[in-house]
Order: sequence, then structure tokens, then C-alpha cells
Amino acid sequence: MKSPMRLAKAEDVRAIGLAPAAEEERKPRLLAKLKELRGSMRSLAVMLDTCVKCGNCVRQCHSYLGTGDPLNAPPARADLMRKLYRRHFTLAGRLLGRITGAEDFDAQTLDAWLTYFYQCNECRRCAVFCPLGVDTAEVTIAGRHLLSELGMVPRFMQQVALNLQKTGNNMGIPKPALLDSVEFLQCEMLEETGLAVKIPVDQAGSEILYIPSSADFFTNVDTIIGVAKMFHALGASWTISSAVLEAANFGLLFNDSAMRAHNRRMRQAAEELGAELVLQGECGHGWRAARLCTEAASGPVRFRLMHVLDYTARNLGRLALRRLSMRVALHDPCNYARAGDLIDEPRRILRACVEELVELAPNREETFCCGGGSGILMDEMMEIRLKLGKKKAEQIQAAGRIDYLAAGCSICKAQLPHVAAHYGMPDLAIGGVMDLVGKAMDMNRSTGGV
Amino acid sequence: MSYVDVNGKQIEVDEDGFICDPDLWNEEIVRCFARLEGVDELTDDHWKVIHYLRGYYRQFGIAPMIRKLCKETGFNLQRIYELFPSGPAKGACKLAGLPKPTGCV
Amino acid sequence: MFFFGYILPYAAAAVFVVGMVRRTWDWLSRPVPLPLTVSSVAGGRRARAAAVAKELVLFPSLYRGDRRLWLSAWLMHASLLVVLVGHTVGIAFAAQQFRYFGASKEASVWLSGAMGLLVGLVFTVALLTVLYRRAANVEVKRISGPDDYLALVLLLCVAASGLAMRYSAEVDLAEVRTYLAGLLVFRASPLPRAWLFLVHFAAVNALLLYFPFSKLVHLTGAFVGRSLLVQPPPVYPTPADGPTAAPLFSQGDRP
Ligand code: SF4
Ligand code: SF4
Repeated sequence: MKSPMRLAKAEDVRAIGLAPAAEEERKPRLLAKLKELRGSMRSLAVMLDTCVKCGNCVRQCHSYLGTGDPLNAPPARADLMRKLYRRHFTLAGRLLGRITGAEDFDAQTLDAWLTYFYQCNECRRCAVFCPLGVDTAEVTIAGRHLLSELGMVPRFMQQVALNLQKTGNNMGIPKPALLDSVEFLQCEMLEETGLAVKIPVDQAGSEILYIPSSADFFTNVDTIIGVAKMFHALGASWTISSAVLEAANFGLLFNDSAMRAHNRRMRQAAEELGAELVLQGECGHGWRAARLCTEAASGPVRFRLMHVLDYTARNLGRLALRRLSMRVALHDPCNYARAGDLIDEPRRILRACVEELVELAPNREETFCCGGGSGILMDEMMEIRLKLGKKKAEQIQAAGRIDYLAAGCSICKAQLPHVAAHYGMPDLAIGGVMDLVGKAMDMNRSTGGV
Repeated sequence: MSYVDVNGKQIEVDEDGFICDPDLWNEEIVRCFARLEGVDELTDDHWKVIHYLRGYYRQFGIAPMIRKLCKETGFNLQRIYELFPSGPAKGACKLAGLPKPTGCV
Repeated sequence: MFFFGYILPYAAAAVFVVGMVRRTWDWLSRPVPLPLTVSSVAGGRRARAAAVAKELVLFPSLYRGDRRLWLSAWLMHASLLVVLVGHTVGIAFAAQQFRYFGASKEASVWLSGAMGLLVGLVFTVALLTVLYRRAANVEVKRISGPDDYLALVLLLCVAASGLAMRYSAEVDLAEVRTYLAGLLVFRASPLPRAWLFLVHFAAVNALLLYFPFSKLVHLTGAFVGRSLLVQPPPVYPTPADGPTAAPLFSQGDRP
């Protein structure tokens, strides 16, 4: 099956600093890069060798369960790279060929890679169920990175990368537009609370640099409102930076160099503003990139790094929250539950903000992905996205009547409404965790207020 | 690249049907795009949204926040969806000749 | 026969040991540019080692995923381990090991044999179950290649011939023992001629030769893989003694 996903044109790929490979150059470059990558990533090296095909992960992968496509089963997906690896880099594969699962590069190789590495949400649920610790997301990440080294980048990723290059955020919001939006939000909050709740922009000397998701300034305004109210109530010294208005780091999802470049934006902004604490906003993979990759991507840093949900959970005692009479279900974003260490924090926050918190099953470390993870948000992929979201939809349906689905990640927030609508829950309200903090906060009673 | 025929003139659009050169935008194009988007009749309410988006884009180079769009036009989100079935980002922005909003939306 | 009895065993052992050491070294010598933490483990190195050990001793991830697979896989690995220990002890003590626990000579030999039989049977049945699953479950069958069957078939050959040896009057344990002891100290002792022993011994050698080139490398790969999943995340601010992560894989700077 050929993927409907659109690729960026050669000149657009060049515009983000990548070099497209000519047809005949593809195989040698792919092999050379694979060799290089395998040489520098222990995870990839060991995972290409050790899968025993026990099949335990197969039925744990929502991508396989939702699409029913055999090549979406994690070991089959990883085999797309493994067969090339065996053929060219192992003795047995070179000598015995197909008996060992080795297969050479052919006309279908890249199509298959593009199709199946972009139907894996990099959710790492398979890794949780693999007795040997084979994490197919690592293979997917490596695969996408290799594709980008051949100039094969989804148009969606390319556009985001271009926006990042120009404005430091995925949506391409320039500073004047940001200031206008901030102004508007401040008016809204003034109207609602009667208080001058501020969203400081580029305020040098602030203790905290808050990194929102740029979608907070388009669709998810309640998230940034919740955050601003919390900071206001705590009397915190904080700012956002117009240079890095983006917690997401799509580079992690398609090209390593782009990942590092964005990571350095964060470091640079923190240093310029003199922030001592960098707080990441509601974005799943962005938290992973910030927490696990900053040291490698940006070198030693002087600031502390925390997630806003962790920060909020620690400060719950200082916020005057009244429980909203709502039945709220919590969706654990993959990158919070697997790698992010943000499992109890959202629960503690929600218990303080709403009357009833419902758990989806399975949850926590075994959570299912929303189906948009790893940036599979392309419009042309909608049909596949809905299949990828099938498991999540079933979980939500099983939770019974709920008033709100809390998903503290911008990708989830973008993907879940489509999933909910498609699977018969068009009226389900979906939003962030901080949104509810904002709504539950009694601004005039919170301690530490200005 | 694909082209949309607007009264005999070929207007270049991207794969999602968004205009490639926002400067070429005019009301003729809106009428043509509207048909493609399943908007049968362009009412004053449609034009209000379109002109607001257009003005904002000219000033700031990007689409406004959805909440601001609602507030400034006086339409709630539901009304916007009634006017533009594919929503504010994919429907209204397309008709107003804005580039497609991208990112986590 | 000289080759079979006195060269092949050394060659096979060497291939196995050198192959596995090299393969493992090959993994460990590669940098870990980005931690791949999937589950953070509170506590230090010890807690992480305990988490890896728990996984590799009890296979909880299989238990959570598929109870039947867990049972057969666990029994397969555990019985293989017992068989290996049993071989070492049984051959070293000529089946007299239970005398240290107060058993008579005859009782010890009987007990040793009975336990060997039991565990060998468990091993064989577990292998057959796993093989059956591989061939009968469509989802597993689809992801299986010839090499996945080959590993199982080789193990089955070893197990079946080993079990059969118990029922062969021809096989003389003392003779086998002398031969193996001779191999260990590099002194040639006569190769036993019982054909079942020869089949068993040949299968073991084939397995050892195949081992480092197959998925069986998960013998050590499992430790490497599982430890990657519980790596501690970096600490911020970066401690004064410098970053812990290795540099990233590609060096070119791109926006
Ligand atoms: S990372 Fe998630 S989507 Fe990808 S193969 Fe594993 S379980 Fe499936
Ligand atoms: S659980 Fe691990 S070893 Fe088993 S098939 Fe999946 S990736 Fe391979």
C-alpha cells in the first residue's frame, strides 16, 4: 500500500537545509547513513539484532490493531530496516540471504519505509511489552531520520521546520501577532476575573521561562490562560519568549539536526533572559526532547528544567481551587507516561480541580496513543489517523459518560476531536489539564496573588 | 501544483487547495473556492469572517486566534462551522486566501 | 571422526564465545547519544539493575501481554537453565551429587536421572509449544522467518536426542564423562561411539556455531536492551562534573 502522505518538493527540502538525493544516489547514501547511525546509536544496534519474533508486542500496538495491516506490527515494521541491515552488515545475511531475513534495497524499499515509519506513532508501547527491551520507536525514529537524509520529508514536517526556522514556532507566529494575541488574552482574563493577569513576553530577568505550545495561541487558548492564572496566583516571575514559542520539537520526529537546532533555541532564550527555571508547556514529545535530549543537543545547561504539570502539582497547596462539578477522564499522553515521569502529577492536579476523575483502561505506562503521536497530523492522512485512534476511541467509549477529556499534549488536542467525532462522540469536550486549573481557580482567594 | 480556474484565470493552489500567492486573492476567487468548499451561498456573515481574517492576515501575516476571530466577528465557534463546514482553519482561512495554518492544529 | 571428536568441539566453543563477546562488545562500545528511557526507575544503579533482573528472571512483560506465551517461554528458558546446570553437576559428580544431601549412591543416581528426565521433558514440551504457536498463530507466523524456525528446530534436536539417550542402553555415562573431561583439559580421550550421543553432541555443536549469528544473541542482548529502557534521565542544571551523554550522531548544524 502506498501512503497518501505528501512529501515536500526538492526545493522546499533544500530550504530547511537538507539535501535531496538523486534516484541513483539513494541506495548508497541510505546504506552509508544506516551504517553511521547504527555505529552511533547503541539502541539501534542492539535492537536490529535481538528481536526474537515472540510476537508479544504485536497485539499491543494500536497502529497494528487499528489498521489491521500486518506490516504495522512492530516486529514487521522494524524488519523493514532489519532486512537491509542483515543483507549488508551481517555475515550470515551476506552469505545466506533470505534465509536469515536479509533482503536488498529495491524499488519498494523507500515506499515501504515512508508508509510504515509514518504509521508508527513512536508511542513506545511495544517496548513496554518486549521482554528484550526492543523499542520499535527507536527504529522508526532512525528510519525517518534516514529518509530525511535522502531528502524525503513529509510536506507537513517541512512546513513546520520552515516556520521554526523563521519564527521559532511551529505555526509561524511572528512577534507582532504574538503581542496582539497576548493583549487579547489579557483583556479576556481581565473581563473574566477583574484582575490584571499578565502574560509577559521577552521579559528579561524573569525567573521562569515558560515554553508554551504555539497551538496555545491558536486553538488551545484555555491552556495558556490556565498557566497565566496559575503564575499570577503564585506571584511568580515568569515570561514567554517570542524566539521560542514552541514546546514541540518536530526535529525529534523526522530529523536529528532539526531537533538539536530547536533545542538550542530553548537554551539560548533561557540564557538571554537569564531564566533560572525552564518550564515546558503541554506537549508530549516536546517534553521528551527537552528532558532527555537537552544535554546531548545543547551541552551543559545552567537552568533547571521542569514540566508545567510537575510544577503545578508541587504548588497545588498554594492555589485556591474549587472542584468543578465535572466527570473528567484523563488521557495519558505516551511521552508523559513512557519516559516523561508525568503520571501522578496530572492525576493530583485533576483531583484538586474536578469532582470526578475517571481512569481509562489501560492507562499510565500502558496507555494507548491518541493516534496522532509523532506528528502524524497531516490532513491527507486523516483516514489512517482515524484508524490509529481506534483503540483510544474504544477506551473513551468504555469510560461512559464524561464531560471532558483531559489530554495535556497539543498533538493529542489536535487529533482527539477528529477521533471522538468519527467514533460517535462529536460533543465530547477535549482540552488540556492546565485549562481546568484555570477554570477551577478562585483568583481572589489564591495565596501569593499580586 | 494544481490550478483552479477562476473565470478563465488560472490560480495556483497547493495540494490542500490553499492559494499559493495570497496577493492574488480577490472576491472572484472567494466565490470559486466557496463552491469547492461546499459553501453554496456567500452571505454577509461569510463576508464578515472573510474580511476580518483578511485584514488580520494583512496586518500580522498569520491567522488570528480562533477565540479572537469569534469575539471580533460576534460568531461562536458553532456558527463558524455552520458557515464554513471544514472549520475556521481549513475552511474560512482558505476562502480568505490565507496560507494553511500548520502545526498541532 | 578425529575432526568431529577433537576439533569441532573446540571450534564450536570458540565461535560461540568469541562471537558472543564480540557481538556484545560491539553493542556496548557504541555511544548512547540520547537516553531512551521508557520507564524511569527511582533509585540508583542498583534499583535499575534490580528492575532489569526482575524482567529477565520472571518475564513480567510477557506475563502482562500473553499468559500462555509467558508460561511456555518462561518454562523453556528456566528448564534450559536447569538442564545446563544439571549437565555440569551431573557429569562433574557422576550423578553422585545427591549423596551430599544424604542420599545413597543408588538413590542419587536415580534422582539425578529422574530430574534430568523431568526437566528435559519440560524443556521439550515448552519448545514444542513455542514452535506450535509460531506456526499456528497467524500473527506470529507472519512475522516469523526461516531463521526463527531454525533456532527452535536446532534446540529440539538437542533436546530430543538428549532425552533419547536416557533410554539407550548403548550410552555409557562414564565413557561420555571421560571424553568430556578430556576435552576440558585438552587430553584426548576416546570418543564414545553410541550414535545417540553422537547425534546429541553434533546438534549441540551446530547450535553453538549458529548462536552468535542468529537472534539467539538475545542471550546478552536482552541485558543491553533492557538496561537502555531504564537509563536515568539527565539532570538539570548539568552537574559541574560535566554532561553524561555522548555527543550526538550527526554533527552537521542545520536550522
Ligand atoms: S511505537 Fe507504538 S505505534 Fe510504533 S510500533 Fe511500537 S506500539 Fe506500534
Ligand atoms: S516483543 Fe520484542 S522480541 Fe518479541 S516480537 Fe516484539 S520486538 Fe520482537
